[in-house]
Amino acid sequence: MSDFTEKLLLPEIPNLHNIDVYEQNSGYQALRKVLEMTPDAVIDVVKKSNLKGRGGACFPTGLKWSFMPKQSSKPKYLCANGDEGEPGTFKDRQIFEFNPHLFIEGSLISAYAMGVQVIYVYIRGEYVKWINLLQKAIDDAYAKKYIGKKILGTNFSTEMYIFPGAGAYICGEESSLMNSIEGDRGYPRVKPPFPAQNGLWGCPTTINNIETLSNVPLIINRGAEWYSKIGEPKHPGTLLFGISGHVNKPGVYELPTGTLLTDIIYKYAGGVRDNKKIKAVIPGGSSTKWIRGEEIDGVRMDSEALKAYDTSIGTGGIIVMDDDTDVLKVLARLIHFYHHESCGQCTPCREGCGWMEKIIKRFIAGEGKLEDIDLLLNVANNIEGNTVCALGDAAAWPVQSVIKKFREEFEKRVRKIPIEKKYVPPPHLIVEKV
Amino acid sequence: MVKITIDGKQYEVENNLTIIQAARESKIHIPHFCWHPKLTVSGNCRVCLVEVEKMPKLVIACSTQVADGMIVHTNSEKVIKAQNAVLEFILINHPLDCPICDEAGECKLQDYAYKYSVGESRFEFDKVRKPKRVELGPNVMLDTERCIMCSRCIRFCDEIAKKPQLTFTQRGDHVELTTFPGECLDNPYSMNVIDLCPVGALTSRDFRFKARVWEMSSTDTICVGCSRGCNIKMWVRNNEILRLTPRMNPQVNDYWMCDYGRLNTFKHVNAANRIKAPMIRKEGKLVEVGWDEAIAKVSSELKAYKKPEIAAIGSAFSSNEDNYLFVKLMGILGVKKLDIMPHIKTGDQDELLIREDKTPNMVGTREVGVKPDSNEFGFSSIMNDIRHGKVRALYVLDDDIAADPNIAEALIKIDFLVVHASNENETVKLADVVLASSSYAEKHGTFTNFQGKVQRNRPAVATLDHDRILDGMELSRLDKFGSHNDRWTQGIKRDTRATWRIVNMLATAIGIRWRYNTCEEVFNEIAAAIPAFKGLSYLKIGTNGALLNLKKKSVTVKD
Repeated sequence: MSDFTEKLLLPEIPNLHNIDVYEQNSGYQALRKVLEMTPDAVIDVVKKSNLKGRGGACFPTGLKWSFMPKQSSKPKYLCANGDEGEPGTFKDRQIFEFNPHLFIEGSLISAYAMGVQVIYVYIRGEYVKWINLLQKAIDDAYAKKYIGKKILGTNFSTEMYIFPGAGAYICGEESSLMNSIEGDRGYPRVKPPFPAQNGLWGCPTTINNIETLSNVPLIINRGAEWYSKIGEPKHPGTLLFGISGHVNKPGVYELPTGTLLTDIIYKYAGGVRDNKKIKAVIPGGSSTKWIRGEEIDGVRMDSEALKAYDTSIGTGGIIVMDDDTDVLKVLARLIHFYHHESCGQCTPCREGCGWMEKIIKRFIAGEGKLEDIDLLLNVANNIEGNTVCALGDAAAWPVQSVIKKFREEFEKRVRKIPIEKKYVPPPHLIVEKV
Repeated sequence: MVKITIDGKQYEVENNLTIIQAARESKIHIPHFCWHPKLTVSGNCRVCLVEVEKMPKLVIACSTQVADGMIVHTNSEKVIKAQNAVLEFILINHPLDCPICDEAGECKLQDYAYKYSVGESRFEFDKVRKPKRVELGPNVMLDTERCIMCSRCIRFCDEIAKKPQLTFTQRGDHVELTTFPGECLDNPYSMNVIDLCPVGALTSRDFRFKARVWEMSSTDTICVGCSRGCNIKMWVRNNEILRLTPRMNPQVNDYWMCDYGRLNTFKHVNAANRIKAPMIRKEGKLVEVGWDEAIAKVSSELKAYKKPEIAAIGSAFSSNEDNYLFVKLMGILGVKKLDIMPHIKTGDQDELLIREDKTPNMVGTREVGVKPDSNEFGFSSIMNDIRHGKVRALYVLDDDIAADPNIAEALIKIDFLVVHASNENETVKLADVVLASSSYAEKHGTFTNFQGKVQRNRPAVATLDHDRILDGMELSRLDKFGSHNDRWTQGIKRDTRATWRIVNMLATAIGIRWRYNTCEEVFNEIAAAIPAFKGLSYLKIGTNGALLNLKKKSVTVKD
């Protein structure tokens, strides 16, 4: 695998968030370059780079852009998704803090490529500090005519606004995100129609992850071919791996795709606390399926390699659990989260998440029944694939994988002593024997 | 047009349809809670999941467009499993209070639980608790626990009533239906959400706990609240109307009716002030008499006046048949002063259903001939003539004209006032003879709405004149199987008669030989005599009505 060590998204340049520093480091050069290209040519470059979306679905970015209608009587929108609600994920805020102009420049290039008039940056409301940091960067970019009317003297104009979320995980789902911006309840929309045809306010819309957009200026500056050779060819580039849990140095590490999971844990994150064995790893944020500690040797962190382990790269949020971890408690916490965050629109997820939580909690209380394990699995299977959006799947996958990989943990919690069903007559019927 | 295969059979359908619409046109039922033909697709209940070949997952039939060559399975093993799963999910937090739930018997969830669920629950925990008995508005009560969050009611208010008053709050299995802050569910169409609600979450505050639905008969008839003539079902138990619900007619009222019509057009039928038999004023007081005596009295009195001294007021609340025979009799008697009293409530009209004209049959009444030959015979001229003593005898069909105090004042001058009425009212108070006429709920007849649509009205309440079984009226189980000592077979049967029959009796007493045995015979004569009605028959009118032929405007009365 490649020995690529360069930091692309988060280079170690002091004060890069400052627009002057960013400009000195070839900032906004990609935008200047793009403004002399045709929009189609820009999309072609991104297509050739094979850039995949960083929000979890790994959808080819260039292809997504090409779905936008070329001619449209309605305005077109770009929503940059910085909701970052996935437990275990904290990468976009690094971009907001340390390299916001890279993201802004990427968004502008994308807007140019698709003919977008307005960019909304949807950021989770809890990120107050990062909202302020990005707003400062946007203001600076406006001041230097990178955003706004007639950008850099060309005929290209676009506006950029931050839209803070109100604290719902579901609003990270692209169609709920649009509903949220429209001022409606955060309910996912039924697809089709897809956003490129019928998105924000019924207009053509594309939704891209913050990290995805931040990769775009690099591709423009250094070429699609260069980019496509970084890391795993089918999923090229560097990823911001956010590692948390029982590691000595949790944090965000920028590494090429295809990096060994063991390298990330031991080489970069400083190994497991107290050198304990790893019990389980969640590779890409709470929605992805778990990997057992014994399986992690040789696991490469890219969308292709993880398929072999029946899981996915997700948002690259790695959660490491050592041998002391009670996986059922972790699962209960996760399912509590999905139960709490299920929007309640469609039946399987609304009803199923609560039911799963209740069953798991019964195991934790040591009151589980052996048949509850299969019941739980069945409930998860009944949710998966039957819902409006992917939240149902995201709740089902951890349950399915934990039952598959840690069935013995459930069996340990099955109630040993059967509940005695002894008839106790009510007091007034107890006749004292003489 | 595209060719699709549903469950192994090929169909050719319009290409803009969704699977559920295409299946429906082909008489294949795909279960659904949230989908409704007249509302936007929300796709949230997930019970309409079907298998489409070459698609990786099951798809919802309500939002998936048909495509040429599409192969759909609505009852494959995968689909049945998904239906079972969705039903199980819906039921885990749904209270099992069917025995006290108003919706039981007409509940989609109940029906589907029998048809599409495995029949038992694996859920062993406490259900989520939510508010019960929430007064959403003046007419609608909400049981939040029963709600399955299909959002039909919300979409109805947004899209049909155009009054966004309802919304969901909270998330997940804690989602609750509620009104927006400062709002209540008080739009003029609010009660349609009760019919739309697939479960017993939204119930009628007027009807709740009055009857189990299977105890009632339901009769296809029409609303008489305004000139729209919404198609309705009239629900009767123990010969008493308990509720009205809208009946779908795409050309008149779709699936809807207004709250006013639903609540205020039937209560007078059950009311205590019903006129139970004909009455004659004797020594200043109205006393009940037999039909023969009352008819003989009218017949002999009318003969005592000169033709110009008699005036007649028809009624746009009465059927075409009633008015037709009335006009015909007045023609024979030579009465020229003939008109109706209009009931226009200016401004009380909207885009959806409600009409300014508060009578159900203005168009029909005019068409069958209740219109003065000239202005001097019009309603206000007649009233003037009464004030000046030129008109001394007045015959009023079913209309409380004296509710207007000015008219009541004039009517005092009348020497002889005959009134057809179903309930005591201001005009009855002044009458010399009251002929107890059946209400619209107790007779056959046709009404012509403002669009010129002739629609049938059917008896739902039995009278001494109309026997429930002999006359083929709709029967409830109690009507069929109840014995005479059952509690709900004791309903009152009144000695009232349809207005056309009363007019017929009067004609016979006067010496005219008419042979109308049924209302339909009267209608057949109208169809033969009046060009606008040409070609129409009860059969042709059917359950959805038929349009008048309004181009040729000429009304002549055959004598």
